Amino acid sequence: MTKRKWLAVGFACVASFAFAAPKGTVARSTALKYPSHAEQDGVAVGAVLLTSHEAGTNFVSDLSRCCLVVELALYPQKGQSIDVSLNDFSLRVIGTDNVAKAASAKVIAATLQKKATSSRDVVVSPSVGIGYESGTVYDPTTGQARRASGVYTQSGVGVGVGYPGDQGGSTDADRKVMEVELEEKGLPEGPAAAAVAGYLYFPLSRKKNARHALEYMLNGSKVVLPLAQ
Amino acid sequence: MYKTATFLGVVLALGITPSYSVGQQPSSPQALSPNATAQSPSDASAESESTPKTRSDSLGENHDRKWHVKLGTISVGASYSRISGPFYYPYGFYPYDDFRRTWLWDPYWASSVLYPPGYFGYNDGRGEVKLALEPKTVESKLVEVYVDNAYAGTADHLKSIWLQPGAYELSVSSKDHASFHRRIYVLSGRSLKIVAKLNPLKTAEAKEARP
Repeated sequence: MTKRKWLAVGFACVASFAFAAPKGTVARSTALKYPSHAEQDGVAVGAVLLTSHEAGTNFVSDLSRCCLVVELALYPQKGQSIDVSLNDFSLRVIGTDNVAKAASAKVIAATLQKKATSSRDVVVSPSVGIGYESGTVYDPTTGQARRASGVYTQSGVGVGVGYPGDQGGSTDADRKVMEVELEEKGLPEGPAAAAVAGYLYFPLSRKKNARHALEYMLNGSKVVLPLAQ
Repeated sequence: MYKTATFLGVVLALGITPSYSVGQQPSSPQALSPNATAQSPSDASAESESTPKTRSDSLGENHDRKWHVKLGTISVGASYSRISGPFYYPYGFYPYDDFRRTWLWDPYWASSVLYPPGYFGYNDGRGEVKLALEPKTVESKLVEVYVDNAYAGTADHLKSIWLQPGAYELSVSSKDHASFHRRIYVLSGRSLKIVAKLNPLKTAEAKEARP
Protein backbone atom coordinates (compact mmCIF):
# COMPACT_ATOMS: atom_id res chain seq x y z
CA MET A 1 0.00 0.00 0.00
CA THR A 2 1.40 3.36 -0.92
CA LYS A 3 2.08 6.12 1.54
CA ARG A 4 -0.83 8.07 0.13
CA LYS A 5 -3.21 5.21 0.76
CA TRP A 6 -2.02 4.86 4.32
CA LEU A 7 -2.61 8.55 4.82
CA ALA A 8 -6.12 8.24 3.43
CA VAL A 9 -6.94 5.35 5.74
CA GLY A 10 -5.51 7.24 8.71
CA PHE A 11 -7.55 10.29 7.84
CA ALA A 12 -10.70 8.20 7.53
CA CYS A 13 -10.11 6.73 10.99
CA VAL A 14 -9.50 10.11 12.56
CA ALA A 15 -12.53 11.57 10.80
CA SER A 16 -14.77 8.75 11.96
CA PHE A 17 -13.80 9.50 15.55
CA ALA A 18 -13.99 13.24 15.15
CA PHE A 19 -17.42 13.20 13.55
CA ALA A 20 -18.84 10.31 15.49
CA ALA A 21 -22.41 11.02 16.43
CA PRO A 22 -23.19 11.45 20.10
CA LYS A 23 -24.50 8.37 21.85
CA GLY A 24 -26.97 7.96 24.63
CA THR A 25 -28.55 10.65 26.71
CA VAL A 26 -27.30 12.84 29.50
CA ALA A 27 -27.52 11.05 32.81
CA ARG A 28 -29.37 12.88 35.54
CA SER A 29 -27.30 14.09 38.45
CA THR A 30 -27.91 10.94 40.49
CA ALA A 31 -29.81 7.69 40.18
CA LEU A 32 -32.22 9.03 42.78
CA LYS A 33 -33.56 11.44 40.19
CA TYR A 34 -35.14 8.51 38.36
CA PRO A 35 -38.49 7.18 39.54
CA SER A 36 -36.96 3.71 39.87
CA HIS A 37 -33.49 3.26 41.28
CA ALA A 38 -31.31 0.77 43.06
CA GLU A 39 -27.70 0.19 43.98
CA GLN A 40 -25.62 -2.95 43.95
CA ASP A 41 -21.89 -3.61 44.14
CA GLY A 42 -21.24 0.10 44.09
CA VAL A 43 -23.19 0.65 40.90
CA ALA A 44 -26.27 2.84 41.08
CA VAL A 45 -29.01 2.26 38.53
CA GLY A 46 -31.82 4.61 37.65
CA ALA A 47 -34.60 3.90 35.19
CA VAL A 48 -37.92 5.11 33.92
CA LEU A 49 -40.38 3.55 31.50
CA LEU A 50 -41.44 6.03 28.85
CA THR A 51 -45.11 6.51 28.13
CA SER A 52 -46.34 6.35 24.54
CA HIS A 53 -46.53 10.08 24.58
CA GLU A 54 -42.98 10.50 25.79
CA ALA A 55 -41.71 8.00 23.27
CA GLY A 56 -43.47 9.94 20.56
CA THR A 57 -41.98 13.17 21.74
CA ASN A 58 -38.46 11.94 22.09
CA PHE A 59 -38.25 9.92 18.91
CA VAL A 60 -39.12 10.51 15.32
CA SER A 61 -39.32 6.76 14.88
CA ASP A 62 -42.74 5.45 15.76
CA LEU A 63 -41.66 3.29 18.67
CA SER A 64 -45.04 2.84 20.25
CA ARG A 65 -45.89 0.50 17.40
CA CYS A 66 -43.35 -2.06 18.32
CA CYS A 67 -41.86 -1.78 21.72
CA LEU A 68 -41.50 -0.33 25.15
CA VAL A 69 -38.75 2.16 25.82
CA VAL A 70 -36.84 2.47 29.08
CA GLU A 71 -34.51 5.29 29.84
CA LEU A 72 -31.68 3.96 31.93
CA ALA A 73 -28.64 5.41 33.64
CA LEU A 74 -25.74 3.60 35.30
CA TYR A 75 -23.47 5.26 37.85
CA PRO A 76 -20.31 3.27 38.60
CA GLN A 77 -18.36 4.18 41.69
CA LYS A 78 -15.32 6.39 41.30
CA GLY A 79 -12.40 4.39 40.02
CA GLN A 80 -14.65 1.49 39.05
CA SER A 81 -15.46 0.46 35.53
CA ILE A 82 -18.38 -1.61 34.37
CA ASP A 83 -19.01 -3.35 31.11
CA VAL A 84 -22.35 -2.34 29.67
CA SER A 85 -24.07 -4.83 27.41
CA LEU A 86 -27.62 -4.98 26.12
CA ASN A 87 -27.63 -8.69 26.90
CA ASP A 88 -27.69 -7.89 30.59
CA PHE A 89 -31.06 -6.16 30.44
CA SER A 90 -34.50 -7.64 30.21
CA LEU A 91 -37.98 -6.38 30.88
CA ARG A 92 -40.58 -8.49 32.59
CA VAL A 93 -44.32 -7.96 32.74
CA ILE A 94 -44.96 -8.44 36.43
CA GLY A 95 -47.17 -11.38 37.23
CA THR A 96 -46.64 -13.06 33.87
CA ASP A 97 -43.98 -15.07 32.08
CA ASN A 98 -43.69 -12.34 29.52
CA VAL A 99 -40.12 -11.22 29.40
CA ALA A 100 -38.04 -9.68 26.64
CA LYS A 101 -34.38 -8.86 26.26
CA ALA A 102 -33.32 -5.45 25.10
CA ALA A 103 -33.27 -5.37 21.32
CA SER A 104 -30.72 -3.68 19.14
CA ALA A 105 -31.45 -0.59 17.11
CA LYS A 106 -31.10 -2.62 13.94
CA VAL A 107 -33.81 -5.08 14.94
CA ILE A 108 -36.20 -2.38 16.10
CA ALA A 109 -35.71 -0.33 12.95
CA ALA A 110 -36.42 -3.37 10.78
CA THR A 111 -39.56 -4.11 12.79
CA LEU A 112 -40.78 -0.55 12.44
CA GLN A 113 -40.18 -0.61 8.72
CA LYS A 114 -42.13 -3.83 8.36
CA LYS A 115 -45.06 -2.46 10.32
CA ALA A 116 -45.06 0.76 8.37
CA THR A 117 -45.07 -1.14 5.09
CA SER A 118 -48.03 -3.26 5.98
CA SER A 119 -50.27 -0.69 7.61
CA ARG A 120 -52.48 1.93 6.10
CA ASP A 121 -54.74 4.67 7.32
CA VAL A 122 -58.47 4.92 7.13
CA VAL A 123 -59.80 8.37 7.81
CA VAL A 124 -63.44 8.96 8.65
CA SER A 125 -64.75 12.49 8.21
CA PRO A 126 -68.31 13.13 9.31
CA SER A 127 -70.15 16.28 8.32
CA VAL A 128 -73.53 17.70 9.26
CA GLY A 129 -75.31 20.83 8.16
CA ILE A 130 -78.52 22.74 8.41
CA GLY A 131 -79.76 25.39 6.04
CA TYR A 132 -82.67 27.53 5.03
CA GLU A 133 -83.51 28.27 1.43
CA SER A 134 -86.14 30.46 -0.12
CA GLY A 135 -86.98 31.62 -3.61
CA THR A 136 -89.44 31.82 -6.43
CA VAL A 137 -90.39 28.65 -8.21
CA TYR A 138 -92.68 27.92 -11.12
CA ASP A 139 -95.15 25.14 -11.03
CA PRO A 140 -94.53 23.07 -14.17
CA THR A 141 -98.20 22.26 -14.67
CA THR A 142 -99.80 25.65 -14.10
CA GLY A 143 -96.79 27.84 -14.91
CA GLN A 144 -97.58 30.00 -11.96
CA ALA A 145 -94.81 31.46 -9.89
CA ARG A 146 -94.93 31.26 -6.17
CA ARG A 147 -92.67 31.79 -3.21
CA ALA A 148 -91.37 28.74 -1.48
CA SER A 149 -88.99 28.13 1.33
CA GLY A 150 -87.78 25.36 3.55
CA VAL A 151 -85.32 24.18 6.08
CA TYR A 152 -83.09 21.33 5.16
CA THR A 153 -80.51 19.25 6.89
CA GLN A 154 -77.68 17.22 5.55
CA SER A 155 -75.27 14.72 6.91
CA GLY A 156 -72.54 12.67 5.39
CA VAL A 157 -69.51 10.64 6.10
CA GLY A 158 -66.38 10.68 4.01
CA VAL A 159 -64.06 7.72 4.23
CA GLY A 160 -60.54 7.90 2.92
CA VAL A 161 -58.28 4.90 2.62
CA GLY A 162 -54.59 5.47 2.33
CA TYR A 163 -51.99 3.51 0.48
CA PRO A 164 -50.01 0.87 2.36
CA GLY A 165 -46.93 2.47 3.77
CA ASP A 166 -48.17 5.99 3.25
CA GLN A 167 -47.38 6.92 6.80
CA GLY A 168 -43.72 7.13 6.18
CA GLY A 169 -41.01 5.02 7.69
CA SER A 170 -41.48 2.28 5.13
CA THR A 171 -38.53 2.72 2.82
CA ASP A 172 -35.01 1.36 3.22
CA ALA A 173 -33.75 4.90 3.66
CA ASP A 174 -36.22 5.38 6.49
CA ARG A 175 -35.07 2.19 8.14
CA LYS A 176 -31.50 3.44 8.08
CA VAL A 177 -32.53 6.74 9.60
CA MET A 178 -34.50 5.02 12.32
CA GLU A 179 -31.56 2.78 13.01
CA VAL A 180 -29.27 5.77 13.33
CA GLU A 181 -31.66 7.54 15.65
CA LEU A 182 -32.20 4.54 17.88
CA GLU A 183 -28.50 3.76 17.93
CA GLU A 184 -27.51 7.29 18.80
CA LYS A 185 -30.06 7.61 21.56
CA GLY A 186 -29.58 4.09 22.86
CA LEU A 187 -27.58 3.11 25.90
CA PRO A 188 -23.91 3.05 24.88
CA GLU A 189 -22.39 -0.41 25.17
CA GLY A 190 -18.86 -1.14 26.30
CA PRO A 191 -16.74 -0.25 29.32
CA ALA A 192 -17.94 2.74 31.34
CA ALA A 193 -15.98 4.42 34.11
CA ALA A 194 -18.40 7.32 34.48
CA ALA A 195 -22.16 7.70 34.43
CA VAL A 196 -23.78 6.56 31.18
CA ALA A 197 -27.38 6.85 30.13
CA GLY A 198 -29.52 6.02 27.16
CA TYR A 199 -32.61 4.23 25.99
CA LEU A 200 -33.31 0.53 25.92
CA TYR A 201 -35.87 -0.91 23.51
CA PHE A 202 -37.89 -3.96 24.45
CA PRO A 203 -40.10 -5.71 21.89
CA LEU A 204 -43.15 -5.91 24.13
CA SER A 205 -46.56 -4.48 23.48
CA ARG A 206 -48.04 -1.97 25.86
CA LYS A 207 -50.95 -3.31 27.84
CA LYS A 208 -53.27 -1.34 29.98
CA ASN A 209 -52.60 -1.66 33.70
CA ALA A 210 -49.62 -3.90 33.09
CA ARG A 211 -46.70 -3.30 35.42
CA HIS A 212 -43.12 -3.93 34.37
CA ALA A 213 -39.85 -4.65 36.06
CA LEU A 214 -36.41 -4.12 34.60
CA GLU A 215 -33.92 -6.88 35.32
CA TYR A 216 -30.23 -6.15 35.13
CA MET A 217 -27.55 -8.79 35.49
CA LEU A 218 -24.68 -7.12 37.30
CA ASN A 219 -21.63 -9.18 38.19
CA GLY A 220 -23.65 -12.35 38.09
CA SER A 221 -26.44 -11.18 40.34
CA LYS A 222 -29.77 -9.79 39.30
CA VAL A 223 -30.93 -6.25 40.06
CA VAL A 224 -34.70 -5.87 39.74
CA LEU A 225 -36.21 -2.46 39.27
CA PRO A 226 -39.99 -2.20 39.30
CA LEU A 227 -40.79 0.53 36.81
CA ALA A 228 -43.26 3.32 37.21
CA GLN A 229 -44.43 5.27 34.21
CA MET B 1 -82.90 30.16 -16.47
CA TYR B 2 -81.73 32.64 -14.07
CA LYS B 3 -80.76 32.04 -10.63
CA THR B 4 -79.32 34.13 -7.92
CA ALA B 5 -78.28 32.67 -4.73
CA THR B 6 -76.94 34.14 -1.64
CA PHE B 7 -74.99 31.92 0.48
CA LEU B 8 -74.05 32.24 4.05
CA GLY B 9 -72.07 29.57 5.69
CA VAL B 10 -70.27 28.87 8.81
CA VAL B 11 -67.93 26.00 9.07
CA LEU B 12 -66.34 24.68 12.12
CA ALA B 13 -63.67 22.36 11.08
CA LEU B 14 -61.82 20.32 13.58
CA GLY B 15 -58.90 18.37 12.31
CA ILE B 16 -58.33 15.79 14.93
CA THR B 17 -54.86 14.49 14.67
CA PRO B 18 -53.75 12.67 17.66
CA SER B 19 -50.64 13.67 19.11
CA TYR B 20 -49.50 11.13 17.08
CA SER B 21 -47.29 10.03 18.69
CA VAL B 22 -46.74 7.94 19.21
CA GLY B 23 -46.70 10.40 17.54
CA GLN B 24 -44.61 12.73 18.89
CA GLN B 25 -45.75 14.84 21.07
CA PRO B 26 -45.79 17.79 22.94
CA SER B 27 -43.56 17.72 25.70
CA SER B 28 -40.08 17.36 24.86
CA PRO B 29 -38.28 16.40 21.92
CA GLN B 30 -34.90 15.49 22.55
CA ALA B 31 -32.38 17.92 21.62
CA LEU B 32 -29.18 16.60 20.43
CA SER B 33 -26.66 19.23 20.14
CA PRO B 34 -24.08 18.38 17.56
CA ASN B 35 -21.42 19.03 20.09
CA ALA B 36 -23.13 17.53 23.01
CA THR B 37 -22.64 13.99 23.92
CA ALA B 38 -26.24 13.29 24.41
CA GLN B 39 -29.63 14.53 25.08
CA SER B 40 -31.08 14.94 28.41
CA PRO B 41 -34.62 14.00 29.15
CA SER B 42 -34.86 16.74 31.64
CA ASP B 43 -33.54 18.95 28.99
CA ALA B 44 -36.04 17.90 26.56
CA SER B 45 -38.04 20.99 26.47
CA ALA B 46 -40.67 20.27 23.99
CA GLU B 47 -39.07 22.07 21.25
CA SER B 48 -39.64 19.70 18.46
CA GLU B 49 -42.27 17.31 17.58
CA SER B 50 -42.55 14.97 14.77
CA THR B 51 -45.95 14.54 13.39
CA PRO B 52 -46.45 11.80 11.02
CA LYS B 53 -49.14 13.13 8.92
CA THR B 54 -51.47 10.36 9.57
CA ARG B 55 -50.78 9.50 13.05
CA SER B 56 -53.62 8.74 15.25
CA ASP B 57 -52.06 5.85 16.78
CA SER B 58 -51.45 7.65 20.00
CA LEU B 59 -51.91 4.86 22.43
CA GLY B 60 -49.76 2.40 20.71
CA GLU B 61 -51.72 -0.42 22.12
CA ASN B 62 -52.61 -2.14 18.89
CA HIS B 63 -49.20 -2.92 17.70
CA ASP B 64 -50.16 -5.50 15.18
CA ARG B 65 -53.04 -3.82 13.49
CA LYS B 66 -52.73 -3.20 9.81
CA TRP B 67 -55.37 -0.52 9.60
CA HIS B 68 -55.26 2.69 11.51
CA VAL B 69 -58.66 4.25 11.75
CA LYS B 70 -58.68 7.86 12.67
CA LEU B 71 -61.24 10.54 12.96
CA GLY B 72 -60.66 13.16 10.36
CA THR B 73 -62.27 16.51 9.91
CA ILE B 74 -65.63 17.15 11.47
CA SER B 75 -67.60 19.71 9.50
CA VAL B 76 -70.56 21.53 10.97
CA GLY B 77 -72.24 24.29 9.03
CA ALA B 78 -75.24 26.49 8.50
CA SER B 79 -76.36 28.02 5.27
CA TYR B 80 -78.94 30.30 3.74
CA SER B 81 -79.58 30.57 0.06
CA ARG B 82 -82.12 32.39 -2.04
CA ILE B 83 -83.22 31.35 -5.48
CA SER B 84 -85.18 33.34 -8.00
CA GLY B 85 -86.79 31.38 -10.79
CA PRO B 86 -87.74 30.18 -13.17
CA PHE B 87 -87.05 26.86 -11.57
CA TYR B 88 -89.58 24.20 -12.25
CA TYR B 89 -90.08 22.33 -9.15
CA PRO B 90 -90.27 19.52 -8.30
CA TYR B 91 -87.94 18.69 -11.20
CA GLY B 92 -85.47 21.38 -10.43
CA PHE B 93 -83.06 21.29 -7.61
CA TYR B 94 -85.16 23.13 -5.12
CA PRO B 95 -84.71 22.97 -2.26
CA TYR B 96 -82.07 20.32 -1.86
CA ASP B 97 -79.91 20.26 -4.92
CA ASP B 98 -78.75 23.78 -4.65
CA PHE B 99 -77.56 23.21 -1.20
CA ARG B 100 -75.98 19.97 -2.12
CA ARG B 101 -74.10 21.59 -4.93
CA THR B 102 -72.49 24.11 -2.66
CA TRP B 103 -69.11 23.21 -1.47
CA LEU B 104 -69.71 23.59 2.20
CA TRP B 105 -71.32 20.34 3.07
CA ASP B 106 -69.77 17.82 0.90
CA PRO B 107 -67.93 15.44 3.14
CA TYR B 108 -65.62 14.57 0.31
CA TRP B 109 -64.76 18.16 -0.08
CA ALA B 110 -63.91 18.29 3.56
CA SER B 111 -61.66 15.32 3.37
CA SER B 112 -59.90 16.47 0.27
CA VAL B 113 -59.35 20.06 1.23
CA LEU B 114 -58.77 19.97 4.92
CA TYR B 115 -56.17 17.25 4.88
CA PRO B 116 -52.62 18.15 4.14
CA PRO B 117 -51.57 17.86 0.55
CA GLY B 118 -50.24 14.43 -0.15
CA TYR B 119 -52.04 12.99 2.82
CA PHE B 120 -52.98 9.91 0.91
CA GLY B 121 -50.56 10.34 -1.86
CA TYR B 122 -46.96 9.63 -2.54
CA ASN B 123 -44.62 12.08 -0.97
CA ASP B 124 -41.71 12.02 -3.31
CA GLY B 125 -39.73 10.14 -0.71
CA ARG B 126 -38.96 13.20 1.36
CA GLY B 127 -39.83 14.40 4.81
CA GLU B 128 -40.76 17.84 5.98
CA VAL B 129 -39.11 19.94 8.66
CA LYS B 130 -41.29 22.77 9.86
CA LEU B 131 -39.18 25.44 11.40
CA ALA B 132 -40.53 28.00 13.83
CA LEU B 133 -38.64 30.63 15.77
CA GLU B 134 -38.98 31.58 19.35
CA PRO B 135 -39.43 34.29 20.40
CA LYS B 136 -41.65 35.17 17.50
CA THR B 137 -40.42 38.73 17.59
CA VAL B 138 -37.15 37.63 16.04
CA GLU B 139 -36.94 38.95 12.51
CA SER B 140 -36.86 35.81 10.41
CA LYS B 141 -35.20 37.61 7.49
CA LEU B 142 -32.11 38.01 9.60
CA VAL B 143 -32.03 34.46 10.85
CA GLU B 144 -29.73 32.11 8.99
CA VAL B 145 -30.41 28.41 8.71
CA TYR B 146 -27.68 25.82 8.21
CA VAL B 147 -28.18 22.15 7.44
CA ASP B 148 -25.12 20.01 8.08
CA ASN B 149 -23.14 23.23 8.43
CA ALA B 150 -24.09 24.33 4.93
CA TYR B 151 -25.98 27.57 4.52
CA ALA B 152 -29.56 26.83 3.51
CA GLY B 153 -31.09 30.31 3.54
CA THR B 154 -32.91 32.65 5.83
CA ALA B 155 -35.68 31.49 8.11
CA ASP B 156 -38.37 33.53 6.38
CA HIS B 157 -37.94 31.33 3.31
CA LEU B 158 -37.45 28.11 5.21
CA LYS B 159 -40.53 27.69 7.31
CA SER B 160 -40.89 24.37 5.62
CA ILE B 161 -37.88 22.37 4.51
CA TRP B 162 -38.18 19.14 2.54
CA LEU B 163 -35.28 16.79 2.99
CA GLN B 164 -34.37 13.30 1.92
CA PRO B 165 -34.57 10.78 4.76
CA GLY B 166 -31.51 11.09 6.94
CA ALA B 167 -29.95 12.49 10.07
CA TYR B 168 -28.96 16.12 9.86
CA GLU B 169 -27.40 18.80 12.00
CA LEU B 170 -29.70 21.79 11.99
CA SER B 171 -28.31 25.13 13.09
CA VAL B 172 -30.20 28.37 13.34
CA SER B 173 -28.37 31.57 14.08
CA SER B 174 -29.08 35.22 14.23
CA LYS B 175 -26.90 38.24 14.72
CA ASP B 176 -27.82 39.04 18.28
CA HIS B 177 -28.90 35.64 19.45
CA ALA B 178 -27.29 32.45 20.58
CA SER B 179 -27.23 29.80 17.91
CA PHE B 180 -29.64 26.93 18.08
CA HIS B 181 -28.34 23.49 17.24
CA ARG B 182 -30.20 20.26 16.96
CA ARG B 183 -29.66 16.86 15.46
CA ILE B 184 -32.75 15.96 13.51
CA TYR B 185 -33.95 12.75 11.93
CA VAL B 186 -36.08 13.01 8.81
CA LEU B 187 -38.31 10.19 7.59
CA SER B 188 -40.14 10.14 4.30
CA GLY B 189 -43.71 11.31 4.48
CA ARG B 190 -43.34 12.56 8.01
CA SER B 191 -43.42 16.06 9.32
CA LEU B 192 -41.07 17.20 12.04
CA LYS B 193 -41.73 20.42 13.87
CA ILE B 194 -38.75 22.25 15.26
CA VAL B 195 -39.05 25.31 17.43
CA ALA B 196 -35.72 27.08 17.45
CA LYS B 197 -35.26 29.00 20.65
CA LEU B 198 -33.01 31.93 20.07
CA ASN B 199 -31.83 33.59 23.24
CA PRO B 200 -30.57 37.15 22.98
CA LEU B 201 -26.83 37.57 23.36
CA LYS B 202 -24.40 40.36 23.72
CA THR B 203 -22.89 41.32 20.38
CA ALA B 204 -19.46 39.80 21.01
CA GLU B 205 -20.93 36.51 22.10
CA ALA B 206 -23.29 36.44 19.17
CA LYS B 207 -20.42 36.76 16.68
CA GLU B 208 -18.64 33.86 18.29
CA ALA B 209 -21.71 31.73 18.33
CA ARG B 210 -22.36 31.88 14.60
CA PRO B 211 -21.33 28.80 12.68
